[in-house]
Amino acid sequence: MTSDNPLLEPTLDRVAPPAILVVFGASGDLTSRKLMPAVERLGLRRLLPGGFSVVGVGRTPMSDDEFLDRMRTLVAEGGGVGDEAAHVWDAFAGGGFRYVAGDYGDPDTYARLGRLFAELDRDRGTSGNRLYYLATPPATFPVIAAALGEAGLNHPDHDDGFVRIVIEKPYGHDEASAASLDTTMHAAFEESQVYRIDHYLGKETVQNVLALRFANAIFEPVWNRRYVDHVQITVTESLGVGHRGGFYERAGALRDIVQNHVMQVLALTLMEPPATFDATGIRDEKVKALRAVDVFGPEDVAKDVVRAQYRRGWAQGAEVPGYRDEEGVDPYSVTETYVAMRLHVDNWRWAGVPFYVRTGKRLPKRVTEVAMQFKEVPHLPFAASQAEGLDPDLMVLRIQPDEGITLRFGAKVPGQAFQVRSVSMDFFYGAAFLEETPEAYERLLLDALVGDPTLFIRSDEVEQAWRICDPVLSAWENDDVPLAQYEAGTWGPIEADRLLEEDGRRWRKP
Amino acid sequence: MTDAIRTVGCWERDDVTVAEVETALSGLRRHEVRAAVRTSVLTLVAVVDHQAQADAARDVVADLGARHPSRTIVLVVGDDDDGESGLDASATVHVVERQGTAICYEDVVLRVRGRARHHLDSVVESFTLPDLPVALWMPSRLPVPGDPLLTAADRLVVDSRAVPEAGDVLARISVLGRRLSVTDLSWIRLAPWRSLLAGLFEGGVNRPFLSGVHHVQVAGNHGPRHLLGGWLMRSLDLPRTAVTLTPAEHASIRLSAVADGRTGEFVVERPGSERSIVSCIDIDGGACVRQTLRMRRQWPALSLASALTRVGEDITYQMALSGALELAS
Repeated sequence: MTSDNPLLEPTLDRVAPPAILVVFGASGDLTSRKLMPAVERLGLRRLLPGGFSVVGVGRTPMSDDEFLDRMRTLVAEGGGVGDEAAHVWDAFAGGGFRYVAGDYGDPDTYARLGRLFAELDRDRGTSGNRLYYLATPPATFPVIAAALGEAGLNHPDHDDGFVRIVIEKPYGHDEASAASLDTTMHAAFEESQVYRIDHYLGKETVQNVLALRFANAIFEPVWNRRYVDHVQITVTESLGVGHRGGFYERAGALRDIVQNHVMQVLALTLMEPPATFDATGIRDEKVKALRAVDVFGPEDVAKDVVRAQYRRGWAQGAEVPGYRDEEGVDPYSVTETYVAMRLHVDNWRWAGVPFYVRTGKRLPKRVTEVAMQFKEVPHLPFAASQAEGLDPDLMVLRIQPDEGITLRFGAKVPGQAFQVRSVSMDFFYGAAFLEETPEAYERLLLDALVGDPTLFIRSDEVEQAWRICDPVLSAWENDDVPLAQYEAGTWGPIEADRLLEEDGRRWRKP
Repeated sequence: MTDAIRTVGCWERDDVTVAEVETALSGLRRHEVRAAVRTSVLTLVAVVDHQAQADAARDVVADLGARHPSRTIVLVVGDDDDGESGLDASATVHVVERQGTAICYEDVVLRVRGRARHHLDSVVESFTLPDLPVALWMPSRLPVPGDPLLTAADRLVVDSRAVPEAGDVLARISVLGRRLSVTDLSWIRLAPWRSLLAGLFEGGVNRPFLSGVHHVQVAGNHGPRHLLGGWLMRSLDLPRTAVTLTPAEHASIRLSAVADGRTGEFVVERPGSERSIVSCIDIDGGACVRQTLRMRRQWPALSLASALTRVGEDITYQMALSGALELAS
């Protein structure tokens, strides 16, 4: 759509086209904590066009003005931009911020929405463009999608317009339910209209993995089984489940983190260089990479996967409760708060290289990183005593916090003797570019508005991620794998350490 | 998000050699442990006429420090006679801290006297950081095509509005552009007008008008109005007669177009002295759909940052420049 506007310059920031952002679940937490701050920042960066409008849909009765005041207040309280963004909110005050109260399954809700859209198109020039954002519980996705379809609000009314729908994870709770959700979504929307969001992909540093891999000739030649001994992917949190106990009981670490965030980071690490840096090129390669991951057989799960739950302990200087003592959690819960897996990849690049992934709550630090340990040199020409401090070379891509790259290599210790020791060289992304980077939701919301699905997850990516996780869930449901325990504030259960020790390796301490 | 900027060391001496300045700079960096880690992205060389301009340039660079960690060399080149060459120097090292991350940048002000003023490349080469691009910034002048400094630079940043006696400035920039990539800060400052105008035609409703533009009226100062007019003439493939340029204090653009029997007026202007830009769409004399954009603060640093972010040629500027020259001829 942008290609036939000769005034649009590729070097200038992309500006969203005139559109209505329709947020279902408008009175919910996600809307005020993530979406509206993103709208505020986009407005402040002058990336929203005149007439851009927001329509909130929710069950809570509210007037248009109340909705605007509430969002403005909540965004300010949540650390919004402040006075500098006052004009962004003021610009909405002339009828650009609307609210429709109603039940998500009631056709009348959608009839009123249709009339409101026509009014905004006429008065604010929103050109028939809609971006639906489902900030609602997953159970409502099929209801809203079907209702939008039945009301005829699922397609643009002219060739240049767009109607897109953004849905949040989780995409189903297993492969079958994800396929069922897809069937429902696809009954009302084309796949090209569906934007499945994983905010991890909106992080600058996740995208930087692509830049590092495919913009540099020095890394790609060693990014394979010939040089890499093994890879560790770590996605950990220092917090417990907090007030999300009820949700977490149904999800667990595998569904909450592994099936989406970990699989996305894994795919970016495994994938081949795309022929083109666009949505199709990148997503095709990610799917191909995930397809090469070996699926666990029933006997493999016990051998290659560890699940665990945190118990009471000390974390970051405070005594914290065990998972079963958290609010909303069953005292006899077997929901996992930690998962470690050994994955094998069946392709030319990675055959024989184990990928160890781990995620967990109440670990010592909040960390996301990919650590690639290289093979040892074929022959070390020093006496053993001269290289006592030498570890294998290592490259760590730190995604959060302290985004950057660490390279560990051997160097001579200064002095008369010849001693070799490992040293680490750190590159801090933030120290090279202190530019203010867009928040993940800000970036992804703009992408959805301009119609760039590169950083959104395609249906077949979801399918492949479930293909890897489903056998694990089945084995756990059959109680084939015991639930281990770990003390809060530690790096996980001893069973996870054994997973690597039996291969002669050990987990990094990030 | 605010940055804490600290000066961690400074040094000043008259009548010095380049080697002495280099030694002093290394010494300043050694005293600050954090400064030992360099994360620069370029060397910026500013050429100014007198100390007041040098101070202004350093202020801009201070704002810029967090965005483009760099070494900045400010060359103060007065109108001295071509007598004995000499160098007076000052060097300052700063640390910018943000959320626990610290980077350092430094600026070196060199007052170049005598015949050395004609060999600035030999002064600059000693201070350029290895393997990083060199951006040559001339805030209020244009180099002549044979200026030896151009051989040391990868990019030239000028401001066509700030050059005195600017009658032929666009033609001179066009000549310089054949030698190396040129960024014109005047063009950068016009970006809000351009993006706002382009945004009016996003979406299906107004797009058809783009192929039906029959008249363009651009108001503004000499230079900016020519560039905007040239850009629109070339982008929309309009004849020269379809573009009218009129002098005004602030830039404004009006596009008149027809599509499917409808007439449309598309206006982007800066009303009065307000720091905002307003757009208005008027279809068939109906209600005007307005949009207001606040102009950002810190324009000098932001414009320079934007200029330094670019690598390679700005094709759109080249196109606008060629159109501007045709309109000015």
